[in-house]
Amino acid sequence: MKVEALEYGDRKVYTVAAFNKGVASWLTRLPTVWIEGEVTELRRHERWASVFFTLKDPEIGACLPASMPRGRFDALRLDLRDGERVHVFGRPELYEARGDFQLRALSIERFGLGAHLAAIERLKAKLASEGLFAAERKRPLPRLPQRIGLVTGNDAAAKRDVLATIAARFPPARVLVAETYVQGPRAAAAIVDALGRICAEPEVDVVVLARGGGSFEDLLPFSEEKLVRAVASYPVPIVSAVGHEQDTPLCDLAADVRASTPTAAGRLVVPDLNDLLERLGRSRSSLQISVRRSLERERQRLAHGRTRLDRAPALAVERKRASLEHAHGRLRALSPRATLARGYAIVRGGDGVVTSPPASGSRVDVEVAEGTFGATVD
Amino acid sequence: MTDEPSYEELERELESIVTRLEQGQVSLDEAIALWERGEQLYKLCVGKLDAAQGKVEELAARVESARPAS
Repeated sequence: MKVEALEYGDRKVYTVAAFNKGVASWLTRLPTVWIEGEVTELRRHERWASVFFTLKDPEIGACLPASMPRGRFDALRLDLRDGERVHVFGRPELYEARGDFQLRALSIERFGLGAHLAAIERLKAKLASEGLFAAERKRPLPRLPQRIGLVTGNDAAAKRDVLATIAARFPPARVLVAETYVQGPRAAAAIVDALGRICAEPEVDVVVLARGGGSFEDLLPFSEEKLVRAVASYPVPIVSAVGHEQDTPLCDLAADVRASTPTAAGRLVVPDLNDLLERLGRSRSSLQISVRRSLERERQRLAHGRTRLDRAPALAVERKRASLEHAHGRLRALSPRATLARGYAIVRGGDGVVTSPPASGSRVDVEVAEGTFGATVD
Repeated sequence: MTDEPSYEELERELESIVTRLEQGQVSLDEAIALWERGEQLYKLCVGKLDAAQGKVEELAARVESARPAS
């Protein structure tokens, strides 16, 4: 389409209408495309020919005004609510009368389960590659928390489950509760805010993020990137108890510990006081038993030692006596008297033992087995 | 206190006497003297052992009477 311009010398000047018309016409050359965003500010009126809404980029916050003929919108029977994620098929358009740029929507599809799942999977892969879910990032929970933070909806069940479990297991526990939105488009930001505030409270050394079961869409905020990143970033360990056993929103993966249910979270953050006391009692009595046992063992060893001690001197004397008798036996066998007993005699003269015939008439002593007698040599 | 030889010294002497006699390379007079010394040593040793045994038994009886009933 040709847009006429007025000429002032060498300057071409367009009227507003002509300019708008020109831009509008140029825009029609752009292709019709699918755009993803959240529906906000949906305005539908019986008297209006079109339905108006704003498409918002959930991450960046960029906005795009959009409209759709009312008849066509109604025919889709989408029953859209603010905050819902959609795919819109449309093309850019300029509303010439006002110079307003907008998206002319030809069709709208609710962002379906499959699309959500695919988006979550993409995000999961991205965060995993950053190491956000890595096991070495996980911190252990305190054995005895000083103060427990609980971030939950005013949805009674999850809050009640956590509190009742904690109270039943460990009555002296102190719990600080922060209630917040847990579903809908504002939930993720609200939860991040509540977690941040409760982590900053003095003495809070573990925080439970709890939400009861819900539909897949209800749990979507718990897989939003800003919440997942936030959960991994707090200074105290976070226990994530979102949904039921089969649900695994991404915040579960980023949390330090994942609890399958709010009740399980309660069990994880405090020990059972009765168990604890019972274990203590058992330890104490086994301590006593083992002390008594080792005392008894020592007493027995001592008694045994004493018995040996008592016997030792007598034994030593006996042993010495035996070896003495042995020596004496040998001595006796060598005794010259044993020879005398066989009839030999020792003859002693003035010079001692006589070994050659002495002079006639000299006196000698003769020793035989039974005694000694004197004799005179012939 | 007289420097009385210990039991072990006496026994060692007895043993060496027996060994010498067994080797048989001593004169008869010497053999007799050694033998008499051996007998004397034996009596001394027996006396010491008897004394020691008496002491042990006396002590054991004392300990026994002092032991608490278990």
